[in-house]
Amino acid sequence: MTGLVGRGVARVDGRAKVTGAARYAADHEIPGMLHGHLVLSTVARGEITELDTSAALALPGVVAVLTHRDLPPLRVPSFPYLKGFVPMQDTRVHHSGQPVAHVVAETPEQAREAANLVRVRYRAERPTAHLAHALDEAFLPPLFRDEPNEFVRGDAGAALEAAAVRVEQDYSSPMMHHNPIEPHSSTAVWDGNSLTLYESAQGIVFTRRVVSIAFDLPEANIRIISPYLGGGFGAKGPTWSHTLLNAAVAREVGRPVRVTLTRAQMYTMNGHRAEYRRNLRLGATREGRLTAIVDTSTAQLTRTDHGVYNTSESTLRLYDCPNVHVRQLGVRLDLPSSSYMRSPETTAHFGLETALDELAHELGVDPVELRIRNHASADPHSGEPYSSKHLLDCYRIAARAFGWARRDPRPGSMRDGNVRVGWGMATETHTFSAIQSNVELTVDVDGRATLRAATQEIGTGTYTVITQVAADELGMPLEHVTTLLGDTAYPDAALSAASATVASVIGPVSQAAQDARKAVIALAVADPRSPLHGVPAEDVVAERGYLFARGDRGRRDSYRGALARHGRPVIVTGSRLNSSGHSYGAVFVEVRFDPRLATLRVSRVVTAYDPGRVLNHRTAHGQVIGGVTWGIGFALMEHTMVDPHTARVVNPNLSTYLVPVSADTPSVESFFVDRPDKGSTALGARGFGETPGTGVPAAIGNAIFHATGRRLRDVPFTRDKLL
Amino acid sequence: MRNFGYTVARTPADAVRTAAGIANSTFVAGGTDLLNLMRDGAETHDHLVDLNRLDLDDVTLDGQTLRIGALARMRGVAEHPRVRREFPVLSEALLASASPQVRNMASIGGNLSQRTRCGYFRDPGSACNKRDPGSGCPAVTGRNRGHAILGGGDHCIATHPSDLAVALTALDATVRLLGPDGARSVPIADFYLLPGTTPDRETAARPGELITRVDVPRTRVAADSRYLKLRDRATFEFAVVSVAAALRTRGRVVRDVRLAFGGIGTRPWRDTRVEAALLGRPLTEAAIGEAGRVLVRDADPRTENGFKVELVQRALASVLNELGGKR
Ligand SMILES: Cc1cc2nc3c(=O)[nH]c(=O)nc-3n(C[C@H](O)[C@H](O)[C@H](O)COP(=O)(O)OP(=O)(O)OC[C@H]3O[C@@H](n4cnc5c(N)ncnc54)[C@H](O)[C@@H]3O)c2cc1C
Ligand code: SF4
Repeated sequence: MTGLVGRGVARVDGRAKVTGAARYAADHEIPGMLHGHLVLSTVARGEITELDTSAALALPGVVAVLTHRDLPPLRVPSFPYLKGFVPMQDTRVHHSGQPVAHVVAETPEQAREAANLVRVRYRAERPTAHLAHALDEAFLPPLFRDEPNEFVRGDAGAALEAAAVRVEQDYSSPMMHHNPIEPHSSTAVWDGNSLTLYESAQGIVFTRRVVSIAFDLPEANIRIISPYLGGGFGAKGPTWSHTLLNAAVAREVGRPVRVTLTRAQMYTMNGHRAEYRRNLRLGATREGRLTAIVDTSTAQLTRTDHGVYNTSESTLRLYDCPNVHVRQLGVRLDLPSSSYMRSPETTAHFGLETALDELAHELGVDPVELRIRNHASADPHSGEPYSSKHLLDCYRIAARAFGWARRDPRPGSMRDGNVRVGWGMATETHTFSAIQSNVELTVDVDGRATLRAATQEIGTGTYTVITQVAADELGMPLEHVTTLLGDTAYPDAALSAASATVASVIGPVSQAAQDARKAVIALAVADPRSPLHGVPAEDVVAERGYLFARGDRGRRDSYRGALARHGRPVIVTGSRLNSSGHSYGAVFVEVRFDPRLATLRVSRVVTAYDPGRVLNHRTAHGQVIGGVTWGIGFALMEHTMVDPHTARVVNPNLSTYLVPVSADTPSVESFFVDRPDKGSTALGARGFGETPGTGVPAAIGNAIFHATGRRLRDVPFTRDKLL
Repeated sequence: MRNFGYTVARTPADAVRTAAGIANSTFVAGGTDLLNLMRDGAETHDHLVDLNRLDLDDVTLDGQTLRIGALARMRGVAEHPRVRREFPVLSEALLASASPQVRNMASIGGNLSQRTRCGYFRDPGSACNKRDPGSGCPAVTGRNRGHAILGGGDHCIATHPSDLAVALTALDATVRLLGPDGARSVPIADFYLLPGTTPDRETAARPGELITRVDVPRTRVAADSRYLKLRDRATFEFAVVSVAAALRTRGRVVRDVRLAFGGIGTRPWRDTRVEAALLGRPLTEAAIGEAGRVLVRDADPRTENGFKVELVQRALASVLNELGGKR
């Protein structure tokens, strides 16, 4: 152990990324490769009646145009394939922007132009595009991945009836899109019955399973390669239809084919945050103890699947409330399938944290104090104790750093000239998963280590923290450890979604590194040629690539020396289970509002977190900056506009789908409690990726209320709602 | 995106001649709008005539006229010291446009000729009278938060996106054109057309006519001008509502005022009745309020853009108060 863990070391892949050496999915050069381009439906519901590919086929460079008439049957895979159907298998159209043809040409430009020339006629039916148009058809969807959509604890109805104080409100949010900068790309290379995919994937092991089901191929015949990702935010967690269609097309044409989605196609091909409404009813005592929560949400579903991704997890588990009734309803609309997007629990959490602020105001209790009074010291739903939880510290640390004690609670009371200043806060929380993971660690004859795992780097710093942990346990300098990820040729490891990577992978990494260190030390002490010969193994320590006898540092060997003498690599594997859980934090926000032009700015954000042990302070802070920035986007601007008549996305580009720019985002302060969670086998680290940002939309809305006295419950909080 | 031919023009006359001789050709300058339109399939051209070598990038102030070459870049004009000092509204409008990268590439002629950001227009999978005459206007009953409240009709309610055009409209600029039939000048007020029943025709430029430069009269009021742009994020976005204003007062009495608006009209919006409501009167809350009401008297808001009626009046008041010395 050399104290590397926790240190904010710079990204080990930083240089490769800024110099362009890093190969993203669409960068791999494959000899003989063709380029595909998808033709997407222009109607949202109906039948294809005519498909004329002749003009497209006549274009120079075009090799093939495939449609439902040409593709072999593909089986509809299970999770994480989220669509209820595979496109281009029949004439049915389920949503606008659904693939109806796949053009293959020698160059991407030829393919794209030919795609414009494919003529499709439809018998169109009237689609339903918005929740408001079908609320009376809301229903309780059946189990999804074995999880119910209704939860009952105690008797919430009766408790609400009996409550001294009640808050009842509706909260809503529109459809939103992930918008990673790197578009989805898939390159299929067949060799007989074996398939290699160069893929932009957040979960290569899962992608392999989906492809295996669709093509009825053994997993052993499939290799997925995804060494770098230009952002995913959940959009690349599931496997989407373009991957399956492109692989089928590549097999048909007998050559490697690459398909890369356009930005506009990314608004119908790879999921989104569903349009969502929620009715929340809180009951409390005069002292502010929650006695009842009745939570009824309605999310957009499709006619072909019924996944609810924006679960009411925080209603169920965040606060110590004895009576809870959660119902997650859905409405079937003629839209693409929704999916997990950037901290999916934010969608519901926004309503809960806003409602709590309303309750605090109603009771005249400070919003932080209200949360402290309802703090859960054991899981309120299961009754299980936490292995560790320092949320109360988070409130205290962030509140102090923010200066919360100086807050005048009266709305509109804090001013700076014409500008109204508002201070708001919220609890941040998200679940994390833990997925069975394995790694392989090789110490080579040159004394350097290589770690291999079929997890992937999605931009959060996975290469870096894995390398840190391995180097630390091995007692090697960081530069002596190389981490290789993003290839299913390596041992199966976690999906990089559901905040699962660190929680799942770090345990196996640290175990493998410890075992490798022990194995090399055992070699050294058993080797008469080693200066350490005969020293008890437990008295040997490893530091910076050297092995010392404790107490006699003159007796020194090295990984390099031991391995050179051994003459062949030492290979160990690591595999360790972890359990899922929650990470917690608190966010405090200052907004400045100029009522004359209804101009709003987020001027200050202070956060504090309990993610268990922090493995790298720099990447953890980076995650906070990212989460807060997306939280600002969710609160103030993000909004996919769907035409009410055609159910077609109207703003499928980054010039009209707004995400925050730097000027919208103040510098963000973050503090970490940084105490290992004894219950986590990942060196005490919990999953943290999705926790930052979850409270930001509510904190901003709460700050707006404090600045203006106006309560907004429908995001985004655009200027028109503040006039 | 379709393959296209490409010619580099050496002189303005050469550019016009080449374009006239090749069917379905158009000019390209910075390419920051045109190439997006072509990639998206909202426009198709078989041939591009590249203007970037033309000797039309000068910005000069001689006598009473500011002359801005059509190939001057947005950045160069915005940072020109005399533009900043004597025509601040032009500089501010440009600096509030797009991003530094786009402003380095984009030309003044291209800026004035850019197409609307209406999402239906830019999506060949949607109907749109402007892109495909006669196909209908889905915005009228669809998603129209960004659309115009003035100057529209059931055929089209798209706004013109250029901030610069709004500022130039306030300052009575003149657009200089060169076409196969020779050179001519069009006052900017006549350059942008109302959609009427032919929203596909946006400007008075005839097919194949080249913008060679823009002339802006040098006036005292232009030096007391500013551009206020309101949008849904801090930078890098088109206007939700904008105001270009120039104001001279003596005492509190308005001696000269020029006003044009972006984000609310189907063209850069100027209504001289608004200026008349202020001219010769003290710049009071009442006068400003009256001017605002005149501005929106004929407003025809749709399902989602009604807030612009209120917002533009507040923006007008804010900019006048600021120019009038009252914050
Ligand atoms: C992300 C983004 C954000 C933007 N934000 C803003 C904004 O906030 N405000 C704003 O005002 N603009 C904004 N713009 C638009 C930008 O200002 C225009 O794209 C740019 O000014 C066009 O200039 P260009 O030289 O690149 O034109 P090109 O793209 O080369 O051409 C555009 C059109 O002008 C024609 N054309 C070009 N030069 C001439 C000429 N001399 N005579 C006749 N026709 C000509 C071309 O044929 C073409 O039809 C934004 C653009 C982008 C991409
Ligand atoms: S508003 Fe104009 S540009 Fe937009 S869809 Fe209607 S006709 Fe087309």
